[in-house]
Amino acid sequence: MTFFFLILPPLLAALIASLVRPYRALVGWIGAWLSLISLGAAFGFVTQVINGQTQTWGLKLEWLNLDEVLRADSLSALLMVCVTAVATLALFLSPGLGPPIQNPHWGELAYRPNQLRRYHVFINLFIAAMLLAVSANNVGVMWIMIEATTVFSAFIIPLKLNKASIEASWKYIILCSVGIALAFVGTVLGYFDFVSLSGRAGNALNWTVLFANAHSLHPEVVRLAFVFLLIGYGTKAGIAPMHTWKPDAYGESPAPLTALMASSLFAVAMYALLRWKAVADATLGSSYTNNLFMALGLLSLLIAALSVVLATDYKRMFAYSSIEHTGLMCLGFALGPLGTFAALLHLVNHTAAKSLMFFLVDNIEHKYRSPLIEKTPGLLKTMPWTGALFAFGLMTLIGLPPGGIFIAEFALFRAGFALKHPWLMGAALVLLAVVFVSFIRHLNKMLYGTPSAEEINTERPTERFSWRIALLLINVAMLITLGLSLPAPLQTLLNQSVGIISK
Amino acid sequence: MNDSLFSQLSTLGSSVILLLGITLLWRKSLHAYASIFRWQSAALTLMFVIIGYFADDPELYVVAAVLFILKVLVLPRYLERMEKRFGDQRELQPYVNVVTSLMLSGLLVLLAYVIARPLVLVSDLPTRGGLPLAMGLVFVGLFVVITRKNALAQIVGFLVMENGIALLAVLATFGIPIIVELGVFLDVLMGFLVMQVFVYHIHSTFESIDVDQLNELKH
Amino acid sequence: MTGYLLEFSQALLALLLAPGLVGFVRWVKARLQNRRGAPIRQPYFELAKLFGKDVVMSNNASWLFRFAPYIVFASTLAVTFLVPLIAAPLPFDDIGDLLVVVYLLLLGTFFLALAGLDPGTAFGGMGSSREMTVAAIAEPTIALSIFSLALGAGSTNLSQIVTATLTQPGSALSPGHLLAFAALFIVSLAETGRLPVDNPSTHLELTMIHEAMILEYSGRYLALIEWASWLKLTIFFSLLANLFIPWGLALTFTPAALAVAVVTLILKLGILGVVVAIVETRIAKLRLFRVPELLGMSFLLALLGVTSSFLLK
Repeated sequence: MTFFFLILPPLLAALIASLVRPYRALVGWIGAWLSLISLGAAFGFVTQVINGQTQTWGLKLEWLNLDEVLRADSLSALLMVCVTAVATLALFLSPGLGPPIQNPHWGELAYRPNQLRRYHVFINLFIAAMLLAVSANNVGVMWIMIEATTVFSAFIIPLKLNKASIEASWKYIILCSVGIALAFVGTVLGYFDFVSLSGRAGNALNWTVLFANAHSLHPEVVRLAFVFLLIGYGTKAGIAPMHTWKPDAYGESPAPLTALMASSLFAVAMYALLRWKAVADATLGSSYTNNLFMALGLLSLLIAALSVVLATDYKRMFAYSSIEHTGLMCLGFALGPLGTFAALLHLVNHTAAKSLMFFLVDNIEHKYRSPLIEKTPGLLKTMPWTGALFAFGLMTLIGLPPGGIFIAEFALFRAGFALKHPWLMGAALVLLAVVFVSFIRHLNKMLYGTPSAEEINTERPTERFSWRIALLLINVAMLITLGLSLPAPLQTLLNQSVGIISK
Repeated sequence: MNDSLFSQLSTLGSSVILLLGITLLWRKSLHAYASIFRWQSAALTLMFVIIGYFADDPELYVVAAVLFILKVLVLPRYLERMEKRFGDQRELQPYVNVVTSLMLSGLLVLLAYVIARPLVLVSDLPTRGGLPLAMGLVFVGLFVVITRKNALAQIVGFLVMENGIALLAVLATFGIPIIVELGVFLDVLMGFLVMQVFVYHIHSTFESIDVDQLNELKH
Repeated sequence: MTGYLLEFSQALLALLLAPGLVGFVRWVKARLQNRRGAPIRQPYFELAKLFGKDVVMSNNASWLFRFAPYIVFASTLAVTFLVPLIAAPLPFDDIGDLLVVVYLLLLGTFFLALAGLDPGTAFGGMGSSREMTVAAIAEPTIALSIFSLALGAGSTNLSQIVTATLTQPGSALSPGHLLAFAALFIVSLAETGRLPVDNPSTHLELTMIHEAMILEYSGRYLALIEWASWLKLTIFFSLLANLFIPWGLALTFTPAALAVAVVTLILKLGILGVVVAIVETRIAKLRLFRVPELLGMSFLLALLGVTSSFLLK
């Protein structure tokens, strides 16, 4: 029942947005308020799961066996909260909710009504697909929903049709579709293995069934399947070397969509990987998948660190930061239960921090003409609130206290050293230091200085504290809270999730 | 006897489907791409019907019907419409020339045989002989996506890859659960529609569908 | 003793059938193109005419020019001793198997190419270089496609391949066989100078491959070379027919079986001739730089055939 409250609101919002022509601001507001229902439902799941109940929903007809197709255990509940929280913020901060931006200098960012309508339809569909993906017990349905997210987001990445955005979205859709197709090969192989043992069954693609029978699956087939799945879902998550679409797509999409992609979609892709990791570990023992995760994680860290040094565009810079955090999380998931706990904590914090950064980037984009770092100086002078939050968010991202990411990274390194991987952790530390220094350098360029007149939009009023900034303070509050302490419900939730992933 | 006839038919069918996929590397004209895809999907539909008959599974007939409508009627028509609009471009040299592509595809099929060995050993279905061929088709489709410069050719490569995956699924497991199969078709259709929209955008913005020109976004 | 007699009569049969086969293909092509066409025995008359004529040689030609026709003819004739035309197994099987056959054919091609270069004409050199381009990709394909059959039979001996297919009729439809057939068919067209690789009836020198090499020849030399190239066509067709569809071959050397074998051979050659004539009429000649693409495709088919024969045993 709660599943309906979770998934129906964004679908309803998409329906309303597609029916109302031309686009009116009311549609955006309805969508934003509807998303609060989803948020409530997600918190409902969390309370249920913390109390030990796992809700499922299924459909059983004569010709269609959808038994237990949706299921909410701790990992799902955790991700539901991640997705809905960012979704609510993104919908409230979407274009088209305030007065229309009418400024002849800033034609690039003033969206026309049909573009806004397209945006609101597809972003709600995108959110619904992500929610279905994390609540699906059937790995086939999970795959379908993740592929659907690729398609839906591809429609709105080029909200403004220019050469760069079309190029970015073409690369995105081709790369992600091919990657997801490979993930499907892995899914088919997993199903094949199960079928060759126990015969065909309608619920054979349920994760619970696969997990329960994992110890009797054939190791060679599971090894092969996991490689395909890692490449496939890894493309979606942005693990190197399949990460090349990230900088382009993040750089060219409208900022609220980027915030959703960077925090929620990335989390959903990691969720898919973790579900399959649990199955593979039950069959093969965890060393095989751990080695793969460690190798790719380190590679991602390396590529991200080197790219951040050379970054010139601040949106792409955050994309490389995403790849860096992906690498760290992969390392975490490869380090047993301790590392998994750290990585999941990192995931939660990263969701809050990255979405904060991209929402702030949205503000910066409206004020500054160019996306280059050199051409956006003087944030503290022109936009004091945004500048301050930007500085806070960036310092949290690179792992400074009192941000939650500091705690998560600390836990990660503690797990790494405890499991006797000193060289690996040493390399990761060095790369993190490189990222740290580069980010501080870029931050300095952006915060201080005085922008010249043609670099900024002087007709936009000076920034005052508005409800938009207030919403972002929620993110800040969460980061600081998680940096200073770990609330008991979250700890229970995380421990339960770790129990699911790595026994 | 029935079993061995089944096995031979499935291997023969998979070989034909793989060969059609390799022919994609040989031909350069866009019209050929659309018609090869159509023939390959028709052969795939026939495979589904054959397997449905021998495995006594009426669900596969339904899937074959949907496959036929989607991939033999609807998608090729869209492809041909696009080809009419954008096909007047010069034939673009792919990144890897034809002879090298053919040699590499031979190596890819060998690689597929090696990779699919555990599958063939584990399975005891009569259709297991075609598993390496289906895997080979997935690799060939991937190769087409990577090495062709033409946006339409990349789309056809992706569709051929999906054909390969469908063939792999039906040979390995006599069909995945129908709800997932239908969902996959929906996804492929949606993906194709998105890509089609983008080809139009690319053409109108860049004046050609040469993907090589999409190189503005560097570091 | 009967075996050796059989061998010689097999070679004689091939020699006698070769011009007839070419005449038949030309006749079918003509009919398909709505012409009456020369009668099927026309090539015999051509050979008779050429043997009666004088040889005219360039002053720059060396001994190679005079010896090449004999070498080409002899090597091609030698192959007919090793290929199962009407009977299998043959007594000369110990000397020759698949590889000997391929390399004897290549020996002929090699000397012909040298002979094209020898007089120093521009067209001869052009023809030779083109022929070598084609042969370079075609020759490994022949070996590979017959090798895929050999894998199934367990030996590269051609007679054993034939008997293996006869004992296991189902294998004739296996993917390895079909792929090898397709590859060998394309290569036959290339090696024997048929469309779409080379037009055998062209008179435009810049489009020639095989004809350009023999432009300088006349008289009995030309007769020998032409006969050798027709014999090559017969050999390729017989390989295609008897390796893949061996029913009708005489396994015992009784007169009845041999008669049946001869009749089925003529039938199979006739069918293949019609098929080739249709192919030549329907398909236009490929531009030269596209020929490697076609041959690459046939090489790939042969490779896939070997792979599937090997791995699906």
